[in-house]
Amino acid sequence: MVIRTAPLRGHRPALEGPGFLARADLQILIDLLREEGRRVIGPTVSDGAIVFDEVTSLDDLPRGIGDEQAPGRYRLRRRGDERLFGFVVGPTAWKKWTFPALVALTRASKDGHKLSFVPEPPDTSPVAFLGARACDLAALGVQDTVFTGTAFVDPDYAARRARVFIVAVQCTNAASTCFCTSMGTGPEVESGHDVLLTELDGGFLIEADTAAGRILLEKLPLRPASATEQYGAAATVAAVRARIGDPVPAAGLHDRLLAQLDNPRWAQVAERCITCGNCTLACPTCFCTTLTQTTDLTGVDAVMYRSWDSCFSPGFAKVAGGSFRSRPRDRYRQWLTHKFATWWDQFGSSGCVGCGRCITWCPVGIDVRDELNAIAPAVPLVPEVTLVEPVAATPNDFVTARVVASRQESVDTTTLTLTGTDPAFAKGSTGQFAMVALPGFPPLPISISRFLPDGIELTIRGAGPATKAMCAMLVGEELGLRGPLGNNWPLDRAVGRDLVIVTGGIGLAPLRPVLHAIVADRRRFGDVKLFYGARTPADLLFRDELERWGARDGIDVSLTVDRAGPGWTGRVGIVTHLFDQATWDGTNMTAFVCGPERMMQATATTLAGRGVPASRIHVTLERHMECGIGLCGHCQMGKYFVCRDGPVFSIGQLGDIFGREGI
Amino acid sequence: MNETAALIAALNTSWFSSGLSEKAQTRLAELGRRFNAEPGTELFREGDTSDIFGILIRGRVALRTLVPERGDVTILTVEPGDVYLWSSLVPPYRASSNGVAIEAIEAIIFDGAALRAALREDCELATALYPRVLVAVERRLHATRLQMLDLFATEQVKEW
Repeated sequence: MVIRTAPLRGHRPALEGPGFLARADLQILIDLLREEGRRVIGPTVSDGAIVFDEVTSLDDLPRGIGDEQAPGRYRLRRRGDERLFGFVVGPTAWKKWTFPALVALTRASKDGHKLSFVPEPPDTSPVAFLGARACDLAALGVQDTVFTGTAFVDPDYAARRARVFIVAVQCTNAASTCFCTSMGTGPEVESGHDVLLTELDGGFLIEADTAAGRILLEKLPLRPASATEQYGAAATVAAVRARIGDPVPAAGLHDRLLAQLDNPRWAQVAERCITCGNCTLACPTCFCTTLTQTTDLTGVDAVMYRSWDSCFSPGFAKVAGGSFRSRPRDRYRQWLTHKFATWWDQFGSSGCVGCGRCITWCPVGIDVRDELNAIAPAVPLVPEVTLVEPVAATPNDFVTARVVASRQESVDTTTLTLTGTDPAFAKGSTGQFAMVALPGFPPLPISISRFLPDGIELTIRGAGPATKAMCAMLVGEELGLRGPLGNNWPLDRAVGRDLVIVTGGIGLAPLRPVLHAIVADRRRFGDVKLFYGARTPADLLFRDELERWGARDGIDVSLTVDRAGPGWTGRVGIVTHLFDQATWDGTNMTAFVCGPERMMQATATTLAGRGVPASRIHVTLERHMECGIGLCGHCQMGKYFVCRDGPVFSIGQLGDIFGREGI
Repeated sequence: MNETAALIAALNTSWFSSGLSEKAQTRLAELGRRFNAEPGTELFREGDTSDIFGILIRGRVALRTLVPERGDVTILTVEPGDVYLWSSLVPPYRASSNGVAIEAIEAIIFDGAALRAALREDCELATALYPRVLVAVERRLHATRLQMLDLFATEQVKEW
């Protein structure tokens, strides 16, 4: 059977690969779009700026015009060539046609006692956008999600957006205010367009991305683009990317910013900010609106209008009792944290596309990039540690290891040095544990207190028959191991920050590898404080190392004991007493805490009082474990299996189940 | 820098007095005097009348209680910046532990009777100071409770 397809309209078959459109022939593209009944919206020169407006001919476009942009500064200049798109983005955003600044939503009228509300139909006349950039397309995508991507769809936006045909243009220039590279939205146009132009000296490289775009291309007088033209276009866009660089490293920006709600910089920037709201009006993604009613003089007919609002308006967060964000610093913080942080939580993306309009059009020249970098400085990027696959993962299997040294740390605690362990153990990560077995005893989870090239150390407190038998092991004897199991201390996310480690008793054992890792590359961290409490001076573990960390390795070590005789001249008191009256600011800190649960609770409360955010206070939990892989059910805590999902959790992650009785 | 200004500066290193109004700080400094002691000095004895209110600026003070057959047990050490002796503000003005300087100490001390008189006369000073005394006491109470739990003990405490 022969399947007949409808004959294609147009002058000639579709091109393979990009075509070349002579500059003068762009008029044909405009004419074709207009023949379809579309208004073509494109760049024009007006009031000393490039603004989008209706264009009918090439003469309406800014031929040979470029722009210079800087914080609070915008100037047009002659380029000395014939380019039609030789500028960057101007003050207008395309949202003006998909989300107009003012729309009539509803007409209400009164006939006696009877009321009627009639929705206003949206303007659905077809339009074409000529000259949308990568950041513009990303912004349309962001607003698509806001207005049509959640449970309620905005009918006005949906109707206006559906009528748009987009001819995008690759950026061949960058302004000093551009930062699309940091926001991951450009400069390369990748999606969201029907047709894509890249301007070259004599014309355009042209490609289609949708069926509608391909139909249009078939009607244009194109020739296949040469390899040189294609290479030239790609190289130009690559040069733009290189020129922009990465002004606002975005990794972790969400968390970094939300951890800085009390940063003094908010008040400082607010001294410069005049809360005019220009940034939100120029922003292509800002979507806040306000409703106003106007009536005729008789009060019979009323129209409800929706207009753009700004979170910088004094009345934006006002209720009868006053405004929730009365101070400029509150409003600036609201705008910035919404754009770069909470937008992710609401809509799954950043609210910023990096177009730089808010920087150029800020009358006092506040540069959002500088504010972000000052308030939430980037941390050096390090790859997240990937956890190694455990050996003998299931409870029916064990590998063996041999004791090569046994060191008594205190009256009831012993460190065993093991060798001949499976190579997986050497690749284990700080905070992980092993299931340890001796014949005749139930296997127990023991945290790994040191990673060696060919072995590990286990520090065991002889609290029951199995652990007492382990503590009594002699050099040369073997034991069974499974692991390494569980997750790790998020040390990589602490890089570049101050770190506070609070631990008590045997709790130092799972944190000892963290200290080894810090000492191995001390410069990666800010101030490191270790607060360690034990029952008596004789119960302090790893005493040689504690001394070395403090004296030689740049770690601020504070020790305390619960009780002591007169011979002890060190500190006495609970471990939180070491810092409950300290004056340091914890907002940039990460905390690792390990000890009895009651002690960890008290510590978390005290650290929160120092400003350490709950998302960066990490604890390691102890629960009854038999399998170590989330199958036996013993270690369940709320929605977590401590062995599989932990043992390291942040306080924010645990929420109110942490420390709750009977969980 | 005159002596009052120097005392204000020293008091400001302590959480107890930093953040007080300038007036309250000046008044406090006028009432205070410097005190130094060598390691091993017994500063006060449990049960004795206490006529001193003291803020530790440097060094370490151990608060000890004598337990028959166990000797002097250190309950707590006081670190720089904290109040080490407040019993002169609370009737019957008797120390509740033995205080020993276990390092050379530098402190600012206040005559208990004079301080109480000043607090009676100057409501503003009293309003500013008493909550801080309460904070100091609350911290001790909280810490003592946690200490009492003996969290690092190997054996579980038997149920009664």
